[in-house]
Amino acid sequence: MDNSYENKVHMIGRITLVIGLVLTFLPPVFLWLIYGIVPPLKNLMNGIISISSVMLPVSIVEVLTFTPMLGASAMYMSYLTGNISNMKIPSAAIGMEVAEVKPSTKEGDIISTIAIAGSVIASEIIIILGVLMIAPIGEKLGNPMIQPAFEQILPALFGSIGAYYILKEWKLAVIPILTAVAVNMIPGLPTAITIPICVLASIFGARFLYKKNLIKVTD
Amino acid sequence: MKDYLQIANSKVFFLCGAVIIGFIILQAILYFNISYREGIRIGLTRAKMLKAFRTGAISTIVPALAVIVALITMVPVLGIPIPWMRLSVIGSAPYELMAAGIGAKSMGLDGLGGAGYTSQVFASSVWIMCIGSIWAVMIVTLFLKSIKRRYSNNADTDPKWRTVLTNAAFLGVFSIFMADPITKGGIALVTMLSGATIMTIFALLIIKLKQSWLREFALALSMIGAMACTILFTNFL
Repeated sequence: MDNSYENKVHMIGRITLVIGLVLTFLPPVFLWLIYGIVPPLKNLMNGIISISSVMLPVSIVEVLTFTPMLGASAMYMSYLTGNISNMKIPSAAIGMEVAEVKPSTKEGDIISTIAIAGSVIASEIIIILGVLMIAPIGEKLGNPMIQPAFEQILPALFGSIGAYYILKEWKLAVIPILTAVAVNMIPGLPTAITIPICVLASIFGARFLYKKNLIKVTD
Repeated sequence: MKDYLQIANSKVFFLCGAVIIGFIILQAILYFNISYREGIRIGLTRAKMLKAFRTGAISTIVPALAVIVALITMVPVLGIPIPWMRLSVIGSAPYELMAAGIGAKSMGLDGLGGAGYTSQVFASSVWIMCIGSIWAVMIVTLFLKSIKRRYSNNADTDPKWRTVLTNAAFLGVFSIFMADPITKGGIALVTMLSGATIMTIFALLIIKLKQSWLREFALALSMIGAMACTILFTNFL
């Protein structure tokens, strides 16, 4: 009886994740089939290698990190909907708190699943309301006076999030930033080379600092 | 020059969004149903489970507002439906922007929107946002069952090193995007330093004054602050 619940959770999870993943590809496929817009294969491969060199190690580590915190069904829901550390984990934690159950128990798994279901439904509704509100002002955001600001969205993001990570542990940032500035000086290197170089340099640097006990671990 | 935005905002993509969000809600309902029934079977009370559902929903409101703020910053460069969809599935705002940036970079562009950001570059951004999230989903789909089993047999891994490794991998990518403004200077550098300064102020407020509610909004607000500095700088200086 116990196992049939577990098996059902895994079966539903696997089927919905695969279907969900396929559905997320509708926009780029429609861009291609309806509008005939598709990036050249060479550039696409370049991008795929770049993004994978980050997301493959990050995903492995993240799954291993979240697995003990969330039950199986909570994991399947979290991975379909994203925003895991800012929405799903807090919802699950506080849900177990108010229901007075412990994580990593059967009760904890069920309560966290229910809390995350509540979180998923609420967040999707709130975001839809947000989209309905943004739609009429969308035009105004394209105003020539403020448009340049949105074109600086990447420096704005990486300045902010970079500072956050540097404040956490600045020693980790030294090697990747120096490496990045150095490879940036060489013109014409594709991201499929520069990003893996920086990620690897950063990880090896971190391993060295960690082994030497030079970094404190927060979070 | 802006014609890719017209395509990006076309009805067909809103429809895709509706289909995906419908599917997500369907999954949530399925899981709610089976775990609710299992909960009753092992003796959890109805009141307790509904309380957990309500708490989960309420505690999502603030982070969801933060997602909407992030959405507003993405709309002028990526249109409405794509950011909406992407922020509702799998990833989160920083991931999506990083992936969109990598998509642009692999087409030889340093930024999102603006001159040179053609519909083809836009398509490249969208493909990379989608492809980058394959890994996490496939790992969970294929291996979660066995990882769960192994964890219950108490596998020993070093959780501290895992945290460091994730931070280091992310810093590796952030560096690539920080190196552009550093080497090129100009308005990009101003924006980046403004963002860094505002984030530092937020961090002090959060840690020193214990304003932990700010945590959710710190990233979105520093981005907006940084972009406000860009406007000041380009228009008035």
